[in-house]
Amino acid sequence: MSAADNKNSSYITDKEVSFKFDGKKYIGYEGDTIASALLRNNVRLVARSFKYHRPRGIYTCGIEEPNGIVQILNEHNEPNTRATVKQIYEGIRVSSQNCWPSLNLDIGSINNLLSPMFSAGFYYKTFMGPKGFWKRIYEPIIRRTAGLGKPPKEFRSKSIHQNHNVDIVIIGGGLSGLITARKLINTQYDVLLLEQDSFLGGILKNSKKIKRINNKEPNEWINETEKLIKDSKNIKILKNSLVTSYNFTNHLIALEDKSVGKKIDNNKSELTLHKIRTKHTILANGHIERFISFRNNDLPGVMLAASFEKYIHRYGVVPETSPVIFTNNSTTASLLKSLVDLGHKPAAYVDSRSKDKIGRKFLNYLEKNNIPFYINAEVEGCDGNKKIKTISIKKSNKIIKVKSSMLCISGGINPDIHLFTQSKGLVKWDDKLVTFKPDVSFQNTITLGSVSGNYNYEKTVEEINNKLSFFKTKNIKLKIELNDISNFNIKELWETKHERKSNWSKSFIDLHNDVTTKDLKQAVREGFDRIEHLKRFTTNSMGTDQGKISSINSLGIVSKILKKKISEVGTTTYRPPYAPLSFSAIAGRNTYEFYDPQRKTPIHNWHIENKAVFEDVGQWKRPWYFKKFEMESMHLAVQRESEQTRKTAGILDGSTLGKIEIKGKDSLEFMNLIYTNAFTKMKPMSSRYALMLGEDGMIKDDGIVCKFNDKHFIVTTTSGGAPKVLADMEEYLQTEWPHLQVYVNSITEQFSTFNISGPKSRDIVSKVFTDVDFSNENFPFMTFKVFDYMDTEVRIMRASFTGELGYEIYITPNKALELWKKIFHFGKAYDLVAYGTETMHLLRAEKGYVVIGQETDGTVTPLDLNFNWMIGKKKKDFIGKRSLTRSDTSRDDRKQLVGIIPIDKSEFIEEGQHVVESERLPKRITTPVEYLGHVSSSYHSPNLNHCIAMAMIKGGNKLMGSKLFVSSTYGTKNIPVEVVSPVFIDPENKRLLS
Amino acid sequence: MILINCPYCGERDQSEFSNGGEAHVARPENSENLNDKEWGQYVFYRDNPKGIFYERWVHSHGCRKWFNAVRNTSTDEILAIYKLNENPPSKESFTNTLKTPSGEPKVGSGNFTVKK
Repeated sequence: MSAADNKNSSYITDKEVSFKFDGKKYIGYEGDTIASALLRNNVRLVARSFKYHRPRGIYTCGIEEPNGIVQILNEHNEPNTRATVKQIYEGIRVSSQNCWPSLNLDIGSINNLLSPMFSAGFYYKTFMGPKGFWKRIYEPIIRRTAGLGKPPKEFRSKSIHQNHNVDIVIIGGGLSGLITARKLINTQYDVLLLEQDSFLGGILKNSKKIKRINNKEPNEWINETEKLIKDSKNIKILKNSLVTSYNFTNHLIALEDKSVGKKIDNNKSELTLHKIRTKHTILANGHIERFISFRNNDLPGVMLAASFEKYIHRYGVVPETSPVIFTNNSTTASLLKSLVDLGHKPAAYVDSRSKDKIGRKFLNYLEKNNIPFYINAEVEGCDGNKKIKTISIKKSNKIIKVKSSMLCISGGINPDIHLFTQSKGLVKWDDKLVTFKPDVSFQNTITLGSVSGNYNYEKTVEEINNKLSFFKTKNIKLKIELNDISNFNIKELWETKHERKSNWSKSFIDLHNDVTTKDLKQAVREGFDRIEHLKRFTTNSMGTDQGKISSINSLGIVSKILKKKISEVGTTTYRPPYAPLSFSAIAGRNTYEFYDPQRKTPIHNWHIENKAVFEDVGQWKRPWYFKKFEMESMHLAVQRESEQTRKTAGILDGSTLGKIEIKGKDSLEFMNLIYTNAFTKMKPMSSRYALMLGEDGMIKDDGIVCKFNDKHFIVTTTSGGAPKVLADMEEYLQTEWPHLQVYVNSITEQFSTFNISGPKSRDIVSKVFTDVDFSNENFPFMTFKVFDYMDTEVRIMRASFTGELGYEIYITPNKALELWKKIFHFGKAYDLVAYGTETMHLLRAEKGYVVIGQETDGTVTPLDLNFNWMIGKKKKDFIGKRSLTRSDTSRDDRKQLVGIIPIDKSEFIEEGQHVVESERLPKRITTPVEYLGHVSSSYHSPNLNHCIAMAMIKGGNKLMGSKLFVSSTYGTKNIPVEVVSPVFIDPENKRLLS
Repeated sequence: MILINCPYCGERDQSEFSNGGEAHVARPENSENLNDKEWGQYVFYRDNPKGIFYERWVHSHGCRKWFNAVRNTSTDEILAIYKLNENPPSKESFTNTLKTPSGEPKVGSGNFTVKK
């Protein structure tokens, strides 16, 4: 009445392995999965169910397992691992999931008695009120009690990715897969054979259904085949590789587990994600057995018959020497024979089929071996506490009780059509096999063996030769002898009739998500009669097992309720992945610093030494502000930096600024088309602030254009916008103006840029570049000079983003740090300060300069920013020109850029707040409060000693001087503000042009 | 992930490319002569058919060249690829080769897996 060993198993070795489950030590053998090792130790209770916390045991022997899902404690707390797949190794520590305080005594199991509350769709029906309860009470409780394992605390990168380009992929190394591979040995085709297990053989290893192949023992034949494949030049085998998705253009994703049965090594990748492109995909991935619903069909001890057989032959463990077998089809005969051959005697054999279907030969066998059997009978249900005690068999309305601790069930077998339907192939209902099987493939997909609905092993070779006849290969000849000669036959049976005994009694359709057959009926009654709706309402087949053993059953039950054919009910959509895979497998090496590369300027280390706090701008790391001393706050640092810059001088590392070089004989024409400004009359060696629009007239980017001559320009772009601007330029050159001879090239990283500004900046640069005349007459605003310096070429442009006298210095990056230090050497006498992006933003806001992406958001035209002067109206065309006169862009009440200051100078305006007309909300709101606009930038100006802000306000130009209000996150009143010009400092440009 | 045959580089993974929307929408030369509606048609309106679609692609993580493709939007099959200066293949040349996964309706995104 308990587990026994099958010493004939070829797979398990004698080497003992100790492991811990829920803190208790057990011994298994090398090669055991957690499940087979637990069964070997007579451990039946392994988990608690998702919703009702019912006791659950191992149900299957593979990827389809709905119950045996565990947490691996010593692998960084890896959750939701299938006990039926994961192999044990010395020292593995496993714990059960979803139970508290322990697996044996789980308080959550009270849910089972409260089950009327948790019927189908209970999430949507209960927990509706009172307001706020969902977030604070219901959700935290549900999240704690329902569900799976606990996530690992840290994310680990543990996989690498590998690409393959082959002619043929064979999925599955079972009987059909191996025959196909043999057929393709030493042909012209490049072949990849993928097997999810750590060994080849499939059905040959899982059962004793096949006696001999070519007069050889199956194991001998497998070894011979494997050697032939390994010796061939064109076929590669990948074991432990599970195909998880089948995408368009024969693109497959397979996950290889390289740490099967081994302790994980943190320095090595555990997984390889194979990305495979193939011309032909051969699906030989077999079938999955399905279950039958009856009363308490989830009790520990219920197991699928084929899985039971797998434990015997693969892992050499007989989970129970006298189980009850309940079936509706012919596949279970081999399990019964295996038990008898090992000297065990099943407690009963229950078959829902009639005498004719079972066949005289098998009945004689049962009689001869003295096995109690019941035909035309069903299992009504089973009872027991955390383990089966008695099984009730119903035959002609009589209930017969049989004592056994295990019940092997088989409701038929389903071709594993997941991958086939993922590939967009169509399936068809087969009345004889009572299941869906592949019909029309959409891609170059061939199905072979049981996945194609061919359950007759003797015909496999013929099928393979027929379906693969278009390959340039020879026909293969093999003789397959069976132990089990009966042809497949089945009687349709989805659920047995049973009496409701108590609230505890349930007949499950989805073990993983705790969906009962009653839930299906209720859902249909409530109008969810479409299978896709029904699935989502009941969560049927939505667990991590994706209903592999039960989804066809639910279609069967629903079709009976709806009185429709199953083919009319249809299936739900099969979506990748076939089985869960961890995020780290998908991420591969793209994690942390490899996920998004960091770009650093040549001055980066100097910034670190000088206590810079960094800000991410796209991929760039830019200094946000510099701390003078460790405790200095950002506010103090920014106030200090900006005050000093206006007083003497400040310098900004602007190396991140995008730079694009434009060359070619038609450069001038191209520039005139791309930017709004007119460049024709612009003098060589001068520069200009320029705008770039989209065809819709909205501002896309800005920058400074340097004109060397009509055939050579250099433009700057915003730090984040550089790749897009270059791509847009290339697009227009290739698609709209291929006749223009223009070459564009990114030179962002070829030049480092420093912006030095402030009243003393001229004094400083004159000391650094002693050969250059920086006087106002010889170096006026918006001009530039190129000269040799430090054995390289330096370009200096007089421009300013602060409103002060300023210079932009461009130099090759490998000389940049040297020059930066030199500037500081000479700047010391003038208290030169390094400033970051926050001070840059403050200084430009004081001067009323806009930042693209802060004042603008893709809905702002140059006219909205009062940039009329930047538009070359006389130009025939430029991108977005026509859109500036559209009815929408020429409206008066568009949001326009204005400055705002609080009337009470001690108040502070927050960025992003709304601008409205009234100080308070009316007591009763009858109409919506009118929104006039929003605050786009706001700073405390150290130079004016009050808050300055920029806002985009409807019809703002006409509202100059008026009083409006700005909402705030603190206080109950809105802040009264005055609308002013956005230029707060030096409106006459005296400082700029000094 | 589909495979795209760049006319300059050969077959590459979709992740190397960017889609540029409908092809053969020329930028009007004399936009000042167009009324708002006509200009709006160029700026804002693009076709989004189910079935055969002429569209633009750029090999953005490769040669950075633009080219045209004909794609069946209901199956993601790329039916033809041609350079910008080549003439587009006629729509009729594809209608007979079209196959949909499940004889889907002309509108909507019916996801059928069972053969009717």
